[in-house]
Amino acid sequence: MRRPNFITIWDRAGLAVVVLSSWAVFAIFAEGFTSKFNVFSVGRLVSILIVVGLAQTVVMGIGDINLSVGAVGGVVAMFFGWLVAPTQLGTAGLASGAPQDVTALPGLGINWQFAFILALLFGAALGFINGWLIVRSGLHGFIVTLGTMGVFSGSMYIITKVKAFRNLPEGFLGFGKMKFFDLLSPLVFIMLGVVVFLFFFLRSTTPGRQMLASGANRRAALASGINVNRIVISTHMLSAALAGLAGIMLAARIGSAIPTIGTGGGGDWLLPSFAASAIGGTLFTGGSVNVVGTMFGGLLLGTVENGLNLLRVPGFWVQMITGLVLLLAVILDRIRVVAVERSRMGAAQ
Amino acid sequence: MDQERMVPEAQDQAGSTTTATLPPGREANGRPLLEMQGIRKAFPGVQALDGAELTLKAGEILALVGENGAGKSTLIKVLTGLYQPEAGEILIEGMEVRFPTPRDAMKHGIAHMPQERNLIPYFSVGENIMLESLPRGRFGLVDYDRIHREARGWLDMLEVQVESRASVDDLSIAQRQLVEIARAISREGRILVLDEPTASLTPHETETLFGVLRRLRDQGVGIIFVSHKLEEVFALCDNIVVLRDGKNAGNKTAIAEIDRDGVVTRMVGRAPVTQELPERTEGRGGPILELQHVNTSSGGRDISLTLHQGEIVGLYGLVGAGRTELARAIIGIDKVTGGQVLVKGKKATIRSVKSALARHRIGYVSENRKEEGLIQMLPLVSNVSITIWRKLQNLVGWISSRLERKTVQPFVERLEIKAPSLNTVVASLSGGNQQKVSLAKWLAAGVDVLIIDEPTVGIDVRTKANLHELIWELVQRGLGILLISSDMPEIVRLADRILVMRRGEIKGEIANDHDYEKTSELIMGFIH
Repeated sequence: MRRPNFITIWDRAGLAVVVLSSWAVFAIFAEGFTSKFNVFSVGRLVSILIVVGLAQTVVMGIGDINLSVGAVGGVVAMFFGWLVAPTQLGTAGLASGAPQDVTALPGLGINWQFAFILALLFGAALGFINGWLIVRSGLHGFIVTLGTMGVFSGSMYIITKVKAFRNLPEGFLGFGKMKFFDLLSPLVFIMLGVVVFLFFFLRSTTPGRQMLASGANRRAALASGINVNRIVISTHMLSAALAGLAGIMLAARIGSAIPTIGTGGGGDWLLPSFAASAIGGTLFTGGSVNVVGTMFGGLLLGTVENGLNLLRVPGFWVQMITGLVLLLAVILDRIRVVAVERSRMGAAQ
Repeated sequence: MDQERMVPEAQDQAGSTTTATLPPGREANGRPLLEMQGIRKAFPGVQALDGAELTLKAGEILALVGENGAGKSTLIKVLTGLYQPEAGEILIEGMEVRFPTPRDAMKHGIAHMPQERNLIPYFSVGENIMLESLPRGRFGLVDYDRIHREARGWLDMLEVQVESRASVDDLSIAQRQLVEIARAISREGRILVLDEPTASLTPHETETLFGVLRRLRDQGVGIIFVSHKLEEVFALCDNIVVLRDGKNAGNKTAIAEIDRDGVVTRMVGRAPVTQELPERTEGRGGPILELQHVNTSSGGRDISLTLHQGEIVGLYGLVGAGRTELARAIIGIDKVTGGQVLVKGKKATIRSVKSALARHRIGYVSENRKEEGLIQMLPLVSNVSITIWRKLQNLVGWISSRLERKTVQPFVERLEIKAPSLNTVVASLSGGNQQKVSLAKWLAAGVDVLIIDEPTVGIDVRTKANLHELIWELVQRGLGILLISSDMPEIVRLADRILVMRRGEIKGEIANDHDYEKTSELIMGFIH
């Protein structure tokens, strides 16, 4: 065994150090950054961002790309809203005597926990469409998901007439507002659960490893007896299910299912999903993913944005600085990889 | 940079360089075309070159040989400007030169065909050949007609039957190699460096190439020929330089004054033991793989063959004869379109590698280690266990890495795979060890039939002998092996029966008595 030195420690903990330092900086300079309310709200925000990032990370693992993460998130959130919203557009969630909300839609009114599972399966079905089209057409996921992105959200806008499901069940709304230790949202625990699951799934299960093998070298994976087509489809199903999960988490956060989840409103998910993965060290070429890295990548993006907002930095500046953070992080990572390679080569001899 | 190069030239005009240290072998009327002296180059943890030297005259074909890791490729990369040496000098006709980039080396007339495949995908054959000097036509636009006309000339010289306008992606491995050779020759350099140019060529193509090289030599070109195939070195080269551990093993020697054993002794540092393969004690069993009048989607026609348990059947043919394509059809990558395949006497339809492996216990060691045989970025352990992940997982789908390592370890030991650890990334292993890893993964999967495609291309003599023993031992243990090889000595040494393929058909069968002269003649009779 090699003795851990600076480089190997940096290899594992570098990004965590960057995240912690950004916390320290904001804690000192940004008033309210450490307040219980801010921690709670950042926790919810960042958890969603991370799950979106992971939806991208898994497809990057097979050397593919999913441009439809935001679209799928929105569609699944709306599907969930439709399942759980009351059948009558009553006044349940509105102040008594208020006029009926003309921008809201009626739903099926089924149990929200059950609907949650149905919605995730619906997300996986959308992912199946992505994966199946990719396998069948032989096209790259970039093209296919560019198309389905438009098809998914477009048809959802048509069906819903861009109206929202507002009167979501009390239980679900309560879940979104719930606090543990007066500080942490259950969304944080969902996110952590996903991170732990994916980490071990990719490391120690046959389908997880087959995904990475297919991403590292599709031909060799095929020649080793792996059904690569099936892997591509199931990876896209996993990705879309995660995007759908993020959509439902966002619905829980804002208390209603609105059509712009994932593609507008709170900002498009697409770029952050790549940014979190790339900062975390997942390769665009496939075969190497870093689930924990994506978590820290999402944390970094979320906290930087939140901290800058608290410092009242204007929005355009926030956008620019977020871009700089991404560039800086990937350049630093490049340097790190080279350093690690060098130290390994030295150790191997 | 230019100034750096100017200085030695000025010195040379004063006639003061290197006069005292001229090595033997220089021409009477001038300085040698190329001298490399005291070249040192280190990588983290390894001294790749430790004072290596080399002299090349105009009109000489010089063999550069050594085992894998001896420093041949590093020396070539120093000469072609890919690496900067830490010490030592390079002189061209007595003038010291430096090559900060490959372009600088080209400017000095050094043309190089690297060992790694280097063609630009999607580009045409002609564009790839003429890449460094694309001819311009009107308005400064690239003149494609001229490209293809000129490229045609180089292709014809090497008797390559491909369209200059064809995309290189559509070429076979041998054709790609010939295109690379054409590219190097088209630069019309004074110094031509060929690193393993014949690795995937047929004897006929090789002979044509040698003819071209001899002509170039007679025109005064200095040629450095790097090869593992000693037969070729003896057939082609004038002189030989052997490297071992980054140093010269012995001086440059005329090829007529040394024999094969002498070269091998220099390469390995001790006298070679001529290893006769032991007599196999287990006889052959029943048939385990039978093809009856099989047609394939990739051009195989009416192919019948039978492979028994405990038997090596050699499949010989020129590159492009359809042997690899047949193997790919057997294991389900390509399609069998007619006839019958029987595995252990039962009719079998194999539609994917997965079913070949899981249902019929047939494995295929690809000729293309880099792109198909192994996943270069994954560690050794995963590359072996990839075929058995499903068997290793427990009830909840969990693969214990301890169990995985415990399962893989015996194969690593049995095949004597040399790696720092099981977690070593496969890309960093030598070619021989990579080949063993790609064998190990099928052995781990417990196959009964193994199709091995060109197992020793680009592998040094010692490891090659080692692999031969290994294949021998596998058959002794009861596997049936279908051995595809273009290496005639290899197939005569190993196979019990030899089938000769040509243009997708099996042309004949030879019961091999391991007599090289006789058998090779019989084989050639079926090919031509």
